[in-house]
Amino acid sequence: MSHDRDDRGRQGSEPPPDLKKERDQFLQTFAKGTKLEEFMQEHEQLQQRSRELENENARLRATLEENDAMRDLVHKIEKLEQEKRELLSRFREAEALSTRFSARFEQVENEFSNLANLFVASNQIHSSLSPRGVTRRIKEVLAQLVGAERYGVYLANTEGTELVPIASEGVPAEKLVPMLTEGTRVGEAFRSGSAIVDEECDPSQGTFEAPPAIVPLSIDDKVVGAIVIFATLSQKKRFDTIDFELFKLLGQHAAAALVSASLFAQAERKLPGLEAFLDLSV
Amino acid sequence: MAEYSCLIVEDSPMMRQLLVFALARVKNLRVTEADDGVDGLRKLASARYDIIVTDINMPIMDGLKLVKRVRSDPVHKDTPIVIITTEGSQEDRQRALQLGANAYITKPIQAPQVIATVKELLKID
Repeated sequence: MSHDRDDRGRQGSEPPPDLKKERDQFLQTFAKGTKLEEFMQEHEQLQQRSRELENENARLRATLEENDAMRDLVHKIEKLEQEKRELLSRFREAEALSTRFSARFEQVENEFSNLANLFVASNQIHSSLSPRGVTRRIKEVLAQLVGAERYGVYLANTEGTELVPIASEGVPAEKLVPMLTEGTRVGEAFRSGSAIVDEECDPSQGTFEAPPAIVPLSIDDKVVGAIVIFATLSQKKRFDTIDFELFKLLGQHAAAALVSASLFAQAERKLPGLEAFLDLSV
Repeated sequence: MAEYSCLIVEDSPMMRQLLVFALARVKNLRVTEADDGVDGLRKLASARYDIIVTDINMPIMDGLKLVKRVRSDPVHKDTPIVIITTEGSQEDRQRALQLGANAYITKPIQAPQVIATVKELLKID
């Protein structure tokens, strides 16, 4: 075979047709191989690109999902913020309500305390049938409930010209003298039948010349005496609502209790017989 | 619900009545009254109390002696004691606190203050 080729080569530059054909076939095959290799490379590149695109796609999908989650989160935060605002508003409302209730509760408790003071004062004043006992209780109301430190209880003489001291506390003996009902501040309250209470000044700084409270004592609309408070305890810097109520109570009940006790003592502590109540025409 | 007992030692019937009225506002508090220190000790010997409210100025046995006696009594040595004084008697108040009193209220007494002091010492809301 090799001899033939050599011979043919030697015979001319053109290869024999069969060899040429073979060569062409080979070249074609070679060319195809080269092409295939190119295809293969291209295929490989496309696969690579496809993988890259898939990865890219996956990344984009993940980002999209993340964005969705973020949107959900933001939405949730907004909802929670709104809920927080509503809760805060409700809390503030509840707090305001609670403050209102506390204030009301305090008011009711103070009112109760005042009523208790009035009840106790009235109950005590009428719980004795001896003039001494009544006087002691009036003094106790003045000292313990009003907080009076220096005071006097005066009753008017028959003519109504003088007020005579019948009980006192913290008043020096030289000051415990009858007071004229004319030309004095105490007399002014006695004659008018209206209490004089100095609401402007500190009652603990009161003096004998300028007593901070004068309370006329009445029985059945007739003024029979007066309670004069010359000064209160040092911690009592002003008269409160309850003090005015106590003044009213003392003004209306103290004299009646004193007179009743005096009459009972004059009657030698004998209770009136049933006949005294039979002709009341009521 | 826990029940508490309080002993009021006060010679003035009016003040006693006022304290009873005030303390009636404290839920589950049973109040017993004594006329003076001696009566108070008698009542303390026969029953146990969760709190004692006592005046300072009393005949027979004053509040200071009562505080001293209560603090030396093994049964009541830890019982809270509230003393009632006047503003001017700082010395008595100091002495009472030194002897073991827990709190003081000045006259004229105010029911809300009495209630608050007793509730605080009994740790009631």
